[in-house]
Amino acid sequence: MISPKSWAVALWLSRSLCQADREPVLGDLTESGESGGGAIADILGLVVRRWTTGLFDMRVWFAVGSLILPISYLLSAIAQNTAGIGAVYSWMYLNNWDWALTRNPGFWHVLRETAIYYGIACLVLACWSWSGGFLIGRLPNATLRASRIAFIVLLAASFLVDVRGRLIQFWTSSHGVPLGPALPDVHAPITANVFYHLFFPWIVLAMLVILPGFSGIWHGNRSLVLERKIRVVLATAATISVLILLIHVPGVELLFGAAVREWLWRNRSAMQVLHYCPVGRCSMWLRMASGVIGGVTLLWCNKRGDRKGDRQCVKR
Amino acid sequence: MIGEFEYLILSSATRLGVDAYGASIRSEIEKATGRKCSIGALYTTLDRLEVKGFVTTWMGEPTRERGGRSKRLVQVTATGVKEASDFFRAISRISKGASWTTNRTTR
Repeated sequence: MISPKSWAVALWLSRSLCQADREPVLGDLTESGESGGGAIADILGLVVRRWTTGLFDMRVWFAVGSLILPISYLLSAIAQNTAGIGAVYSWMYLNNWDWALTRNPGFWHVLRETAIYYGIACLVLACWSWSGGFLIGRLPNATLRASRIAFIVLLAASFLVDVRGRLIQFWTSSHGVPLGPALPDVHAPITANVFYHLFFPWIVLAMLVILPGFSGIWHGNRSLVLERKIRVVLATAATISVLILLIHVPGVELLFGAAVREWLWRNRSAMQVLHYCPVGRCSMWLRMASGVIGGVTLLWCNKRGDRKGDRQCVKR
Repeated sequence: MIGEFEYLILSSATRLGVDAYGASIRSEIEKATGRKCSIGALYTTLDRLEVKGFVTTWMGEPTRERGGRSKRLVQVTATGVKEASDFFRAISRISKGASWTTNRTTR
């Protein structure tokens, strides 16, 4: 007989199984009157087997190599850049705040410009993450769970290992580019601050990459219910948007020839509008929601108006 | 050619007929082999057999003795029966003359 505590643990573990597995497995354990420890071991065994089965699926490895790894690398590189810029501005304004500055009109002008510039940089990063997630979400359902885990693990790994820096190092050494003298760290006061050095980059990664990325995965997975035209437009926009990421990551453009680099750089502004396709998608939802709310409000007002009119008629 | 554990599942599911589902197959295997059969091994093998087309599975009605949860019912297909009999014939052929089939002991 399973004790309530063991059963609670077993139920919690079974949450990582899909519905088609959870239902019969829990039923089998109840029917066979398995002991608490036995039930937990059985469910844990199935969870581990399901996970390892995913590892042997070649489609997962293909998806990781061709899509998830490049997307994770590109996003983590941009997130590092965005976090670096954000840390500098935050340190400048928050850690060196002086009330006397607020009397200076120039201060407000620069602050506004900085806020707009950094706000757009954050929005673009969130949109890129959504687009990358959308493409991952379009992968077959059987590989989706493993793909989600691979996405988050590779993002964190690229962030921790500083793949971008290593790639530039590799490229410069393989092309025989002589290394210049080490420059003094102009951001030393910021990197000395534990919050900006350790926590701030992870906050940026979580808020602007992981959250929008997982929202994109969710939308990509559910895009099959959308009209074919919308599906194609969204997938194309997301693909181009992710490709544009390539020219924005320092180091990656070195992999292309000079002609491709120049072409990408010249056409970047024409393609930039595609970054915001997730915003367009969200605004579509917002328009739909506002349409529904507007419609309901209109109906309610009409009804009220009718009642008022009726009352006025009755009074007359 | 199917594996030993796949053969055990196919045989017990065929014996059980309409009563073949996770818990009953597991209990049959445990009785026959005298060893514990893990749910993980059972369900992953059932999935594999279903992908190969040797069994079909579907969800049954929820019952009270199972805490209101459904059974995953199993039926062996014609291909599954053929595979299991091929395995049994191969095992019978290879076992001919072996000490344990003729009650002789070897050193």
